[in-house]
Amino acid sequence: MSDARIEGYARALFEIARAEGNLDEVEDELFRFARSYESSDALRAALTDDLVPADRRQGIVESLLDGQATSTTMQLVSMVIGSGRGRDLPEIIDSLVARASASKDLAVAEVRSAVALSDDQASRLKAALTNSSGHEVNLKVVIDPTVIGGVIATVGDSVIDGSVRTRLDQLKSRL
Amino acid sequence: MNLIAAGDIDPAQSVNWLLPPLSELIYGGIASIIIFALIYKFGGPAAKKGMADRTAKIQAELDGAAEALESARTEAEEIRRAAGDIASERARLLAEADEQASALLSEGRERLAAEIADLEARAEAESAGLAGRMGDELRVEVSRISSSVVDQLVAETLDDATQQALIEDFIQKVGAGS
Repeated sequence: MSDARIEGYARALFEIARAEGNLDEVEDELFRFARSYESSDALRAALTDDLVPADRRQGIVESLLDGQATSTTMQLVSMVIGSGRGRDLPEIIDSLVARASASKDLAVAEVRSAVALSDDQASRLKAALTNSSGHEVNLKVVIDPTVIGGVIATVGDSVIDGSVRTRLDQLKSRL
Repeated sequence: MNLIAAGDIDPAQSVNWLLPPLSELIYGGIASIIIFALIYKFGGPAAKKGMADRTAKIQAELDGAAEALESARTEAEEIRRAAGDIASERARLLAEADEQASALLSEGRERLAAEIADLEARAEAESAGLAGRMGDELRVEVSRISSSVVDQLVAETLDDATQQALIEDFIQKVGAGS
């Protein structure tokens, strides 16, 4: 899909969430759903298969998010999947997150960790990244077992890699 | 004697019992000469012609027989030559067939030997290629498994305390870098 169309969908989702008054919550739920969607081949295959009727795909979304997310989040994802834009869902959501952060003058900081961060750790990491980037950040934590250990933080175009995964890769390439 | 005795002729008065009377001899002789002369004059040419014709006929028959004999000999010679030709042709054909069979056999053996050598070379090349590919695939697989095992071992050695320590270390580094 073209960038303009992705931006169009992101703007629409953003305006709906803002109109519903739960932008922060919806944005966070959408972000987590996008990461799960990216990591699951089976889910992507099911929700992007044109041979599966749209109402069936929307039914899958609703059964997955029912009770796990707000109805606004569920309806927004269902709308994107029902319109046949499942392949672009992560990009649309990332654009929405960036738009929501920008509306609050925040930079999106995506943090990948093998284990969950405590609230204290998230708070201190957020402060550290804010100081490091010189910009208030909207911290988005993704639990990613492939990191193995440590953390990878991405703020804009900057990547701070403290993961065991990368160290192992460097060691393997040296060997 | 009885007959003479029985007749009326007196043998002492009669003519010679063997020779006719002289006049008869003379007339008979002249008549004979005339007859012979006439026969010679008129029958001689015809007899000569007949003899000549017969001679010619016999000669013609002899010539024909000689010609037939010559022809038969020629034909016999031709037959013998033809028989000889057939025998030599048969021998030539057999020799040629043997030669061709020998050449075919030799050529077939050479071709088979070449094909066998080619097949062996290809089989060896394919075997070497397959061994190389299998070796490469094995190395890749070993590398992949080793990598996976290393990742798993490292992940298993990272207990919660170590994970937390890594996160704290990261936070400190980011904070220190600001």
